[in-house]
Amino acid sequence: MSASDGRDEVVRVDFAFKRELAQKVEGDLANFCYQCGACVGDCPATRYSPAFNPREIMLKVLYGLESELLGPDSVLWQCTNCYGCHERCPQEVKPVEVIISLKNMLADRGLAPPAADKVIQTFMAQGRTVPDNPAIDKQRAKFDLPPMGAVPMDEILALLEPEVEEENGS
Amino acid sequence: MKRYAFFPGCLIPARHPAMEFAIRSTLPKLGIEIVDLEGASCCPDPIYFKSKDKLDWLAVAARNLTLAEDLGLDIFTNCSGCTATLSETYHLLQDEELRDRINRRLARIDREYRGTSRVRHIATLVRDEVGYDAVRESVERPLEGLKVAIHYGCHLLKPSRIMQVDNPDDPQVLERLIEALGATPVRHANWYLCCGKACDGEEIPNQMMHDLLATVHDEKADVLGMICPTCFGQFDHGQMKIAKLFDEDFHTPPIYYFQLLAFAQGVPYEKLGFERQRFKPLALQRYEEVAAE
Repeated sequence: MSASDGRDEVVRVDFAFKRELAQKVEGDLANFCYQCGACVGDCPATRYSPAFNPREIMLKVLYGLESELLGPDSVLWQCTNCYGCHERCPQEVKPVEVIISLKNMLADRGLAPPAADKVIQTFMAQGRTVPDNPAIDKQRAKFDLPPMGAVPMDEILALLEPEVEEENGS
Repeated sequence: MKRYAFFPGCLIPARHPAMEFAIRSTLPKLGIEIVDLEGASCCPDPIYFKSKDKLDWLAVAARNLTLAEDLGLDIFTNCSGCTATLSETYHLLQDEELRDRINRRLARIDREYRGTSRVRHIATLVRDEVGYDAVRESVERPLEGLKVAIHYGCHLLKPSRIMQVDNPDDPQVLERLIEALGATPVRHANWYLCCGKACDGEEIPNQMMHDLLATVHDEKADVLGMICPTCFGQFDHGQMKIAKLFDEDFHTPPIYYFQLLAFAQGVPYEKLGFERQRFKPLALQRYEEVAAE
């Protein structure tokens, strides 16, 4: 692994990348990682895909190796979101949360997978992640359950408007 | 009756209404009054929605929590994903700076998050507020001899500091809840493995599901007891897919715990919506015959 410009063996930390990650909720926690590997032994994704290794991902974050983390078809999407690493980490790095913060950066760059875009689109239209259709209410009626009912989308969309300066506290 | 606000989420009411029916049928018999939350949205989804923007995710989740705060009630959830989102939000918004930031968003719709409503998963609600003995007393037809393999899923248990459900290395709650029905819980060798649903792609989840189902199959259990609707999908139509893909004879019917409880409390088999499952828990029918004799 090398983050140098090729002229020497010195790893150059990309601080701009790390500052951007630190803006995400719990994105800065990787700084506490001392590379013990407790996250690896319990990781189901690592068990089935050697390409996915939470300790290595945290190391790349520490160096700020953006090009190895934030590309199309990023290995980060192989995370199973099982939260085993969150449970195990003695430093409370919460590797899964750092990985999700990195996914936020992928989404900012338009690099989320189609499955993610689909969930977001459905939510933005209806406030739910299972698309509404008449068959659902028909099924519910069989169990004497009331129809699903609408989500007040005006409230949801107002919440999701970009923050103005006085709101983000920076 | 103890009153709790019910947060049903998306997957159970829309895809598995039989599970919601079972919850509404069983809880009142255990002394829990269900209060519906008007205007609730998706929790939102802790996998893809959260991976898009954590602040948006927190803002929508906090709005859902304020609906219960307005009623002055604690929330209970029936989906491990909703539990993860709402419990993590409750936890993260103890940070004042973050809470202020989210509240500036909520102010746009005249709402304020105060952190006054606790989030409980339905299994812990029953364990802590009802108790295993009261569950046992509510049972009309004990499921003696029914072998139930157990699948906890990930988000019910982890991260334990935030979820506050059980010890993720040796959880007890589902086993004890199954025993209260007179049935026999079985911990299969890969009990702790993830169902793989939240992992993008095919290769990893398929292998993972294969290994998990193989140890479930080894136990020759009558059913696979579970508590998460996402895992349920993986084990129902997913089990069919994996069996075909790996040419295996996997066929353990999954069952959501509260449908099993409803059945044990005397709700007829044909009212519990099992006909919609790919693998039907036919082993239950022998208890109906006993009751009819």
